[in-house]
Amino acid sequence: MFFHIVLERNMQLHPRHFGRNLRENLVSKLMKDVEGTCSGRHGFVVAITGIENVGKGLIRDGTGFVTFPVKYQCVVFRPFKGEILEAAVTMVNKMGFFAEAGPVQIFVSNHLIPDDMEFQSGDMPNYTTSDGSVKIQKDSEVRLKIIGTRVDATEIFCIGTIKDDFLGVINDPTTA
Amino acid sequence: MVRRFDDEEDDDVEEEEYEDEEEQLLDDEDYDVDEDAGRGRRGSSKKRGRSDFIDDLAEEDDDEDEDDEDEVYGGGGGRGKRHKAPRDGSQFFDLEAQVDSDEEEEEDEGEDGFIVETGADMPDEDSGRRMHRRPLPLREDEQEDVEALERSIQARYARSSHAEYDEETTDVEQQALLPSVRDPKLWMVKCAIGRERETAVCLMQKYIDRGSDLQIRSVIALDHLKNFIYIEADKEAHVREAIKGQRNIFGAKIMLVPIREMTDVLSVESKAIDLSRDTWVRMKIGTYKGDLAQVVDVDNVRQRVTVKLIPRIDLQALANKLEGREVPKKKAFVPPPRLMNVDEARELHIRVEHRRDPVTGDYIDYIGAMLFKDGFLYKTVSMKSISVQNIKPTFDELEKFRAPSAKGEGEMVGLSTLFANRKKGHFMKGDAVIVVKGDLKNLKGWVEKVEEENVHIRPEMKGLPKTLAVNEKELCKYFEPGNHVKVVAGTKEGATGMVVKVEQHVLIMLSDTTKEHIRVFADDVVESSEVTTGVTKIGDYELRDLVLLDNNSFGVIIRVEKEAFQVLKGVPERPEVSLVKLREIKCKLEKKFDVQDKYRNTVSVKDVVRILEGSCKGKQGPVEHIYKGILFVYDRHHLEHAGFICAKAGSCCVVGGSRSNGARNGDSFSRFGSFKAPPRVPPSPRRFSRGGPPHDSGGRHRGGRGGHDALVGTTVKIRQGPFKGYRGRVVDIKGPSVRVELESQMRVVTVDRNFVSDNVVVSTPHRDTSRYGMGSETPMRSARTPLHPYMTPMRDSGATPIHDGMRTPMRDRAWNPYAPMSPPRDNWEEGNPASWGTSPQYQPGSPPSRAYEAPTPGSGWASTPGGSYSEAGTPRDSGSSYANAPSPYMPSTPSGQPMTPSSGPYIPGTPGGQPMTPGTGGLDAMSPVIGPESEGPWFMPDILVNVHKSGDETIGVIQEVLPDGSCKVALGSSGSGDIIIALPSEMEIVPPKKSDKIKIMGGSLRGLTGKLIGVDGTDGIVRIDDSLDVKILDLVILAKLP
Repeated sequence: MFFHIVLERNMQLHPRHFGRNLRENLVSKLMKDVEGTCSGRHGFVVAITGIENVGKGLIRDGTGFVTFPVKYQCVVFRPFKGEILEAAVTMVNKMGFFAEAGPVQIFVSNHLIPDDMEFQSGDMPNYTTSDGSVKIQKDSEVRLKIIGTRVDATEIFCIGTIKDDFLGVINDPTTA
Repeated sequence: MVRRFDDEEDDDVEEEEYEDEEEQLLDDEDYDVDEDAGRGRRGSSKKRGRSDFIDDLAEEDDDEDEDDEDEVYGGGGGRGKRHKAPRDGSQFFDLEAQVDSDEEEEEDEGEDGFIVETGADMPDEDSGRRMHRRPLPLREDEQEDVEALERSIQARYARSSHAEYDEETTDVEQQALLPSVRDPKLWMVKCAIGRERETAVCLMQKYIDRGSDLQIRSVIALDHLKNFIYIEADKEAHVREAIKGQRNIFGAKIMLVPIREMTDVLSVESKAIDLSRDTWVRMKIGTYKGDLAQVVDVDNVRQRVTVKLIPRIDLQALANKLEGREVPKKKAFVPPPRLMNVDEARELHIRVEHRRDPVTGDYIDYIGAMLFKDGFLYKTVSMKSISVQNIKPTFDELEKFRAPSAKGEGEMVGLSTLFANRKKGHFMKGDAVIVVKGDLKNLKGWVEKVEEENVHIRPEMKGLPKTLAVNEKELCKYFEPGNHVKVVAGTKEGATGMVVKVEQHVLIMLSDTTKEHIRVFADDVVESSEVTTGVTKIGDYELRDLVLLDNNSFGVIIRVEKEAFQVLKGVPERPEVSLVKLREIKCKLEKKFDVQDKYRNTVSVKDVVRILEGSCKGKQGPVEHIYKGILFVYDRHHLEHAGFICAKAGSCCVVGGSRSNGARNGDSFSRFGSFKAPPRVPPSPRRFSRGGPPHDSGGRHRGGRGGHDALVGTTVKIRQGPFKGYRGRVVDIKGPSVRVELESQMRVVTVDRNFVSDNVVVSTPHRDTSRYGMGSETPMRSARTPLHPYMTPMRDSGATPIHDGMRTPMRDRAWNPYAPMSPPRDNWEEGNPASWGTSPQYQPGSPPSRAYEAPTPGSGWASTPGGSYSEAGTPRDSGSSYANAPSPYMPSTPSGQPMTPSSGPYIPGTPGGQPMTPGTGGLDAMSPVIGPESEGPWFMPDILVNVHKSGDETIGVIQEVLPDGSCKVALGSSGSGDIIIALPSEMEIVPPKKSDKIKIMGGSLRGLTGKLIGVDGTDGIVRIDDSLDVKILDLVILAKLP
């Protein structure tokens, strides 16, 4: 799920960036530092949408770096248990398949793939129904439900299922 | 105890007569009856009652039923009603008493109910026997004794109060039967070993003889307790009285059994109960020792069980035996367990009888005396040879057993065993549980309270009481897919993962680390948010270590189990995984090797390579280990074997991604530094910083820019400190330290500038790539470089390049300890001749190189200070390297030929003249490679050497190095002996030891002396005499001074 929230961060700025463009530098550094990271609590920071407020800088002893507390608005993406996501399959193997929804990696175990889909090994490993009408392979798009998340400080890993109503392949690269 | 025992017997009796009664009721009634009998009999005529009973058996039956009903409804108050019954109360009591007394008399007559010999199956047998032995007429005959019996019963029960049974008779409260302070006590008496039963019988006899003046109540001899018998009596004095004169009893000590432990004495070790069908057991002895077996049949009487096993049968041996062939007996060979294949057996001409079991109707195969069914061996063994307690079948074992049989059944079997072996205190408050048996099956809930056997759960469903008490055995931990759990028991102990699927009591979870499915029992896991890999270390060996195994094979540890490792063997053809015990591992292999990939690029650890051939073609990842030309590549997208792929170095190629061979190229560049010299960063400052302390090179590189800023933006390698071996880009220089952005870690670290070596500098990109493009091989490259960059020197000052070209190699060598150079040298040795032979580029290359070299040497040498000249020059011509140099390269390769003319003049040439010869310049450029790279050391004056001449070995000091490479050696450890001329091949440098005085034979510090203050692996820590600087140098280039 996406959220638009306000986060705060202490930015350290090298003295060479001081000057007229201090603020711009600060913001660009913030973007560089923050966008694309993941915090266990808030999820992935997708984009910074605005700066709420830049606090007073504090010069650090010894280094000359200045620490600015910056409050910024950003869009974060945090997967939740029970959430339905659309994801692109990145890898298929006999244990299941991995799919990615943006920055989140989701594993769908073969136990959570409908029983009528069987693993076919080969050049392009895939899961196929017995009649061959539905096929999950690399680059397929699937709709899945997250049934578990594991949240580390720097990573969110999910396991999902497509063994439910209205879940499964939504776009097959081979037919498209 | 005795009382209870009798009661049970009463049950049996009654059960026979009034078959429709419920056992519990019977029990209750018995208490009543006992009691009534005790009271009622006092006044009643017993004979009458007795006959009544016999005459109107049917009628009695009805009445009895009636009474029962009364009791059911009336509970304790039933007594009153019963008295209102039409029949005379006394009559009733009488006949009941009759039954009771009858029992009593039987006991007396038989084996005396007082003395209870507690065999495991005693009760059953007894009652059975009694039932058969109780024909009615017999009783009639014995009616005369009844009076006596009555008395004895009165005597027995008069004292003990039965009040407690009076009221609380509605329920079988086993608790109420437990001994209390008021009950007789148990005394433990020592007796002769093996005479326990005998002693008990003797006491029984004594009781029979002496009658009731023997005031003990029972004697117990337990089969499993040697050396002791128990005597039940009220007072110790009674016991003493009873055992007086018993020769088997050593009556010195009579111990009282505490009330609490009294029950334990008599609670039958219920093997028979545990050993029901389908339980899992383990064999204790024989071929099958430790094997899991399943009980198929139990014979309690003969104490034998039939178990189902996976046969461990060597068919060949069996065939041999059956045919009477003599085979030398191999000792300690246990065939692996395998299901029996009858056809295979038949092929070996083993007679297999296929018969139908008359009882079950199943077909059974007989081989000799062995029975097989469905491939399993059915074996009848003694109960003593199996262990029943605490059997925890592993998943694999269960899996094997289940294989041929129906699946569902297997599951349930596992479940029952699981419960049987559950630990106490297994459920904890807050655990999610599900009821798996009984009426409440599938009810989920949470544990609220745990009592002995019962677990109070808070049911999930609404409309149920707040808490329910459920037997522990009916509960199972409950997890939902998506839960993050940790395994707390079993082989996978410690692993964490997410539950993917729940199959009753079995969970399938996805391990966090290995991304593999793990099957575990729900009982063995707990919910946990922590992420661990499970066990990652046993002893010295850790996950991902490269280890040498017993049989000289090697592999990477890809999984650590409880007591064993899974090792991916270093077999490139196919992934071979074996389970290895700790003791089977010889050692950890930590040595770093470098190898060459398909295109002869040097590959070292942490380089990213792509696999070009084999089953894992196309995979790529960093190299984790290199050993014997085999790479272990870690591809995180590879899900098998913990991501490790084993591949031959020759079937991989280094991916430019990490500019991986930048380092190596850099090294080889610096070896021929001239050719890569990027205009922006002149070699000298680089070398300056690389060489560390200014003193060692500063003098020679005056021309260099002193500014360190030149370093900024260059790629360096960190040589020392915690980041040793890392490469990165210099972002900033602050005083004595530099800030380096690490390539591999995406972060900036500050290191001492002396700790970085910038020889890694990647020159202008295009040249770099062209290098790759040409698929140059390391040695090749060095040889070939002159032709390719021969334009560069033109632009640069002519002098520097050649100077560099000559100097650097030595220095490189000197600095080898830091750079991955020493291994390449090995490679070079192996690979070089071939590469020379195979490279056609070289030949066309050589003329230009000569052309190029021609002008340079003069200036090069001119600009070099004399000291450095001799340093540079001598090793090559004087050392054995010289002698070695031509051999690999001249005769073996055609490419070498064009060079020979040039080396011709070189050989006789004096060191001084050498640079002047245009041709030798070319050779010079080569020889540094050959020279230092070839194994021989290069000698210097003053160092100690071992001289092997004409078979004997003497120590000597080099006095002078002659131009042809041989040396004048003064024999004797102080050089005071004769002076001889020794060939380089006859000499061997004396390796220095700690705190020896040494001389540095190579590198930029060549010629300096110092003291070896420490040894670290192949590196020596040296304090230079002049500067008192401490240096770390390769031991190889250190020579001992006299």
